[in-house]
Amino acid sequence: MKLLLLEDDDATRVHLERTLVAAGYVVDVCSDGRHAIALGSINEYAVLIFDRMVPGIDGLGVLKALRAAGVRSPALFLTAIDGVHDRVEGLDAGADDYLVKPFAAIELIARVNALLRRRPATDVMTALRVADLEIDLIKRSVKRAGQQILLQAQEFKLLEYLMRHAGEIVTRSMLLENVWSFHFDPQTNIIESHMSRLRSKVDRGFDRELIHTIRGSGYSLDALA
Amino acid sequence: MRWLSGFRSGAFRFALFLALVFGAGAALLLAVVERSISRYAVEATDGGLKSEAAILQGEDREGGRSNLLQAIALHRRAGGEEAFRYQLTDRRGRLLVNDIGTSNAKIGWGEVEVLDDPQDAGARPEMLKSLGVPMPEGGVLVVATDTYDVQELRRGLDRFTLFAGVFITLFVLAGGYLLGGLFMRRLDRVNVAIGRVMAGNVAERLPTIGISREFDLLSSNLNAMLDRIGALMEGLRQVTTDIAHDLRTPLTRLRQQLEATREANSIDHYTAGIDVAVLQTDQILAIFRALLRIGTLEGGDGRQYFRPVNLSEVIGHVVAAHQPVAEDDGKALLAEHEPGLVVAGDAELLTQMLTNLIDNAIRHTPAGSLIVSKLERMDDSVIATISDDGPGVPAGERVNVLSRFYRLDRSRHLPGTGLGMSLAAAIAGLHHARIDLLDNSPGLRVRITFPKSPPALEHSASPSKNQAD
Repeated sequence: MKLLLLEDDDATRVHLERTLVAAGYVVDVCSDGRHAIALGSINEYAVLIFDRMVPGIDGLGVLKALRAAGVRSPALFLTAIDGVHDRVEGLDAGADDYLVKPFAAIELIARVNALLRRRPATDVMTALRVADLEIDLIKRSVKRAGQQILLQAQEFKLLEYLMRHAGEIVTRSMLLENVWSFHFDPQTNIIESHMSRLRSKVDRGFDRELIHTIRGSGYSLDALA
Repeated sequence: MRWLSGFRSGAFRFALFLALVFGAGAALLLAVVERSISRYAVEATDGGLKSEAAILQGEDREGGRSNLLQAIALHRRAGGEEAFRYQLTDRRGRLLVNDIGTSNAKIGWGEVEVLDDPQDAGARPEMLKSLGVPMPEGGVLVVATDTYDVQELRRGLDRFTLFAGVFITLFVLAGGYLLGGLFMRRLDRVNVAIGRVMAGNVAERLPTIGISREFDLLSSNLNAMLDRIGALMEGLRQVTTDIAHDLRTPLTRLRQQLEATREANSIDHYTAGIDVAVLQTDQILAIFRALLRIGTLEGGDGRQYFRPVNLSEVIGHVVAAHQPVAEDDGKALLAEHEPGLVVAGDAELLTQMLTNLIDNAIRHTPAGSLIVSKLERMDDSVIATISDDGPGVPAGERVNVLSRFYRLDRSRHLPGTGLGMSLAAAIAGLHHARIDLLDNSPGLRVRITFPKSPPALEHSASPSKNQAD
């Protein structure tokens, strides 16, 4: 899996590269926009990771140029700009995710993983299954070991997201953004409260737990762990 | 020199320009009047000469020369002072009648110069207008009349034109000077006030200019601008002070934590210590982020992205997200939301505002409390109310709760940045919504009143107001 990383700050770039390499990725790095456009149009990358503010052509411009040249790889913006509308602007430019600096290494890895596993929009799924847990996305029903489980709307959304990312770590901020559309940290126990309800319904009474807490980073729904 | 400086003022130049235009108009008018009056006078003279000549030609034709001479004598007597003067020359060039002096037996219009009193050397010669006509019995008759009255009339008109022009110009110049001085003095007061503002007295406000509504609107708009700048500067100063003071505590804690971790004697202690330090860093960054966001919001940035937001959906979503949180805390969170209420705003910021208010209510009430989130329409404005039956906020401290880092003494031990309420207040402010902290007896009731319609800017609102009155 080859990634392209555009970041102009040397220390940050070295740190991010090390983090991504440690996670098992091959990383091409560059520190200016022109170079990134050149690399991005020659090679095929699984994920593009661009700092938004780099000298010369900025991340936004690089992505626009690559998208115009037909590059479809998912893109992740890293940015120190935290305005409400900067994210919208980034997504409009063709980015698939947006991560505000500073962030934990695990947050970056989790998001890159999520982008890599993302299915094309054309691939419509009607049901998801992990071990003996299955959800019907059309009837919005959940069964574990053939036993019907009743979930509240938000619990269902939470479980759906976890199942779509089964086997991956999903971070708190990924859950807040994707399940509740909260693009800020509410500093409350929203996730914990919902997660404990979901767990009591999905995992309690079954010999194997599917939802796992990853200390310091987030959660994972995994049949193997 | 303030009085004289009226000459430099725009008002004076304007008045001078007006004086020029007015003067030119007056000169044109006077010239037209003068011309038409003199033409009328000249025509009257010429007409008189023509008819007199025609009458005398008739006398000559019908009654012969003796009749003509009689008629001339008769006319001369009847005319008195104003009489025509005659000069009749016969066929052989002999002068039969001569009131004019020099022989001037010429057919057609002409002018002759006569001395009224040949004895008086100092007398001015008089110009007469003359008309010479051929006589049926032979010879030439010249009829002449003085044009003194016409010339006098013209001279009078000229004098009047000059006098009126000079007077009008002086009058307008004096008016312009006075008006310019008035402007200068009014504006000088404003300039002095502006000078004081620039010198650092930011509380200074401009006096009303007071010449007309437009100028008053200008000074009141300038004052509104100063208020806004003052508020922004105060906000900036506040943020700087807050960062300096309130980040010092968490930074000190972080430093202590790192020092303690360095002394750790096992890998486990190291890891645990670093984890705590990372958490503390995140907390500091969260404070930074909130402060920056409050600063941006108070600067009014983001209104350009406003669009209609279904507030009923937004608040329903936020309440649903927090109901399990409240429940886990032993509190009940109830929703009484009227559906389909729309406000102009930013859905994400409104979500954050409502989250902070509900989080605040959950955080600062004891177990067993009831929290009610209400959304309703009253008098055409949308009102969101978050109320609880907890200990509430003492009346004197309610305003402070909205300011940054303010925490009631009894909640100092609780986690939180102390910025939630001021962030909510900043978001409400961006939406032109009123935020009121009220007594729920018992408990606190936070009420957000959204404006009836999106507020328009002063300049776009005032013209219609002006037209109305």
